[in-house]
Amino acid sequence: MKLYKFEKSHEMFKKAFNVIPSGIYGHQGPSEGCYIPNNVFPMFSEHAKGSKFWDLDGNEFIDYMCGYGPNVLGYCDPDVDAAALEQLKKENCVTIPSAKMVEFAELLVDTVACADWAFFAKNGGDVTSLAVMTARAATRRKKIVFFNGYYHGVAPWTQKLDYPGILEEEVANNIYVDFNDYPALEKVFTEYKGEIAGLIATPYMHGNFVDNFFPDEGYWQKVRKLCDDHGVVLIIDDVRAGFRLDLAGSDHFFGFKADLICFCKALANGYNVSALCGRESLKDAVSSLTYTGSYWMSAVPFAAGIACINKMKALDTPAMFDKLGRELTDGFVKAGKEHGFDLVVSGAPSLFYLRTANDDSLMLHQQWVAECVQRGIFITSHHNHFINASLTHEEINRSIEIAEDAFKAVRKNNPDA
Amino acid sequence: MLTKTDPRAAAYVNLYAVLGACENLCELDPAARALLTNKKPLKVAFEVKDGPAATLLFKNGRCRMEDGVAPNCDIKLPFSSCEKFNGLLDGTTTPIPSKGFTHIKFLLKSFVPLTDLLSKYLRPSEEDLKDPKFREISTILTLYVAGVAIAQIANNDQSGKFSANLIPDGDIAMNVKGSVGLTLRVKNHRIIALKKRCDKPRACMEFGSLDIAGDLLAGKLSAMACICDGSIAMSGMINMIDNVNRILDRVSQYLS
Repeated sequence: MKLYKFEKSHEMFKKAFNVIPSGIYGHQGPSEGCYIPNNVFPMFSEHAKGSKFWDLDGNEFIDYMCGYGPNVLGYCDPDVDAAALEQLKKENCVTIPSAKMVEFAELLVDTVACADWAFFAKNGGDVTSLAVMTARAATRRKKIVFFNGYYHGVAPWTQKLDYPGILEEEVANNIYVDFNDYPALEKVFTEYKGEIAGLIATPYMHGNFVDNFFPDEGYWQKVRKLCDDHGVVLIIDDVRAGFRLDLAGSDHFFGFKADLICFCKALANGYNVSALCGRESLKDAVSSLTYTGSYWMSAVPFAAGIACINKMKALDTPAMFDKLGRELTDGFVKAGKEHGFDLVVSGAPSLFYLRTANDDSLMLHQQWVAECVQRGIFITSHHNHFINASLTHEEINRSIEIAEDAFKAVRKNNPDA
Repeated sequence: MLTKTDPRAAAYVNLYAVLGACENLCELDPAARALLTNKKPLKVAFEVKDGPAATLLFKNGRCRMEDGVAPNCDIKLPFSSCEKFNGLLDGTTTPIPSKGFTHIKFLLKSFVPLTDLLSKYLRPSEEDLKDPKFREISTILTLYVAGVAIAQIANNDQSGKFSANLIPDGDIAMNVKGSVGLTLRVKNHRIIALKKRCDKPRACMEFGSLDIAGDLLAGKLSAMACICDGSIAMSGMINMIDNVNRILDRVSQYLS
């Protein structure tokens, strides 16, 4: 297969580097995005459609990062875009909100199992922060329990003692335990009895650099009871997994009911809106908070969100994603085996995480990812991936061909690995 | 992010990382070797109350550091506190030997000039850095100091321990392309620094040149920006490098 070149991307990156910190900061840049080596990855996209994007050099990629999650129905989905454009012709960001906000909230309450209300913002971090503030306001307590390996955004409370710009005091009330270690959690709840406001967790562990894993049988049910016994607010951060496992929420998927649940990525197919949903008992606590933003009640993302959720329901996307994810990853694993590579797939098929297990350093895996990207599938070496509803069987087959050729190249460069 | 440094952790950094760099200074600069040649072999021990202890061994123009106070040391410099020892490096404490009064001449005529030379390399003037050879030695020494300081901070500083607690076992390579390298060996969340290139790293951070390494360690460049523009390459377990970078950030607080 012919390998892509990225000259225009990297020329643009040089310009970006002059005027933007790090050129491209954050998870969509070469550092946090783990572009290894960074000269074989595209830096800027030019256009996107369905499951694909094209970079500045005209290279076409079948994209399994899906904008790190928001692309749930396919880039430029005609139904979502039509709804958004129709709303845009009427109004978007106005002095008072559009009634679309009410329609969207009603749809979420009818869709999400634990939701009696919905509060809208823009990014996932807006609503994880709101959830923690709500838990503290409702309980008048300080401490929040996290599971090691967590990611709940970039607000100071979500960061760590050793992060630049984060004060010791901002993380002083964070308690860390291991997921699935119920005795450790129980011990912490006893030790800090009457001090814990909330427990925040993703529905399963979909952290970076490590195999993703599900809760043990009955784990969430025990955690739910423990929270009830201690008056602790159970917050599910469903920003990443939300609507890809279960349209009623990932707590519903695992058979328990959260007190608060945070959504963002798959909520509106790329239009910028996030939502905190929760139980009636916490509605007053949320109402008491001072929490708002200039764009949080813009109508276009609400219209997009309504169209997105309705389409996900019509397509039964969680079932579809599960099937497509298995088809793709089974093909990847088989391609690896043909060249003597043990590709480990973990997490939910709709959010699959990949690791080549032939070494303990991820270096072979990073080589394979780099070879894949240079041939036209965009994957990463450190993060889970995402399935979207526009993904076709032809695209899956093409992806498997690319994966196979990439494994062949890695084998050639590492005959003894 | 802690805004203050810990005097005890600073003492470990100052003894093992800064004074420990005398080893490399003697290898890299003939002027340093000259200060020690034609001298009787000598052992100078540093003992810090509630802090670190190590011995510098001087022999045939070379220098080596050993952990702890050598029983047969020739000179012993005790310090009543970590703060007093740290004062030695910033010039506010004058050490008084408890053993080795007959070797005072060595301290004054060899050891003090040696540490003065070390300071010149570790806190270089812009003028000195214009000399390519000086710049090269200065950067290599700074890299070694930073590497050992990473280990000491990981093992002794509150923030460093927090970062190290998130690093899995294995070797991390910190290399300069076509030049020197060092190995950070992690076991049970404690780190030791080896002043040699790593044979089989689980994670690798490679500076594109000595100049890049020098500017980064001098705080003139951001590691994140360097990774983005490719002047620092990384591979392997990036979470190991990520946490080492957080400790490296703390190193600059201790060495500034």
